[in-house]
Amino acid sequence: MSAVIKTTTPFTIQEVLLEALEAVGAEPETVTTESLQVQSHRGGLKVGDILTNRTDYNGPQHFRFEGGRWILRHDSDEMNGIVTAVGAASREYRRVAQFLASVSKEYGAAYQRHLDKLAEQERARVEEARKARVEATRKQVITNAKAQGYSVKEVRNGNKIQVVLTRTV
Amino acid sequence: MPEQKVVVTIDEDGGLTAKTSGFKGETCLSALDELLSLDGVISHVKTTDEYHQEQMLKRRRKQEVKGN
Repeated sequence: MSAVIKTTTPFTIQEVLLEALEAVGAEPETVTTESLQVQSHRGGLKVGDILTNRTDYNGPQHFRFEGGRWILRHDSDEMNGIVTAVGAASREYRRVAQFLASVSKEYGAAYQRHLDKLAEQERARVEEARKARVEATRKQVITNAKAQGYSVKEVRNGNKIQVVLTRTV
Repeated sequence: MPEQKVVVTIDEDGGLTAKTSGFKGETCLSALDELLSLDGVISHVKTTDEYHQEQMLKRRRKQEVKGN
């Protein structure tokens, strides 16, 4: 016997997973202390688990963070598998493998957006640091100049600042 | 009274270019150092004609003193 298997993309980032689950219409909901009062699962639920709108014999299928990745917990036979949420675009229940394949695809796209966002945040951080450096230099020059008896005239020219210092001796 | 002038340009990365006029000889460099805290950060120094003229004047004075 031989077999070929393919695992899903490891879902390691919660924010990205939530976005992917939204994209596939799984209506993710993070379990809170309050929601534990009304939600139940035969295998138990924990605060922080991410519920989907898919349920089976055991209760709501949900993701739990284990071993550095989010794992979908579900009945292995998917007995009584249904999609429950009213707001879902499609209420057709798909097998877990199919579901995970679509989540995986959306996760990849969401991950790319996540990277773009991080790059943008980093770019903004570097730009802020640059502005702060220029401002600190400007202040230092002007403060020192005034302390040494120079009169100061400042001209801004695009991204450059020209400070003209004069004194008579 | 003679005027000393320093034109400091701060570029977009916070780097500095400074040009002096009205200083005597090497005092322009020490004045810049006091003003801009340049210790260990200068990448290029170009002395001006005014600087060289002052240095030549100094040497000539020295020679004249020795000659006396």
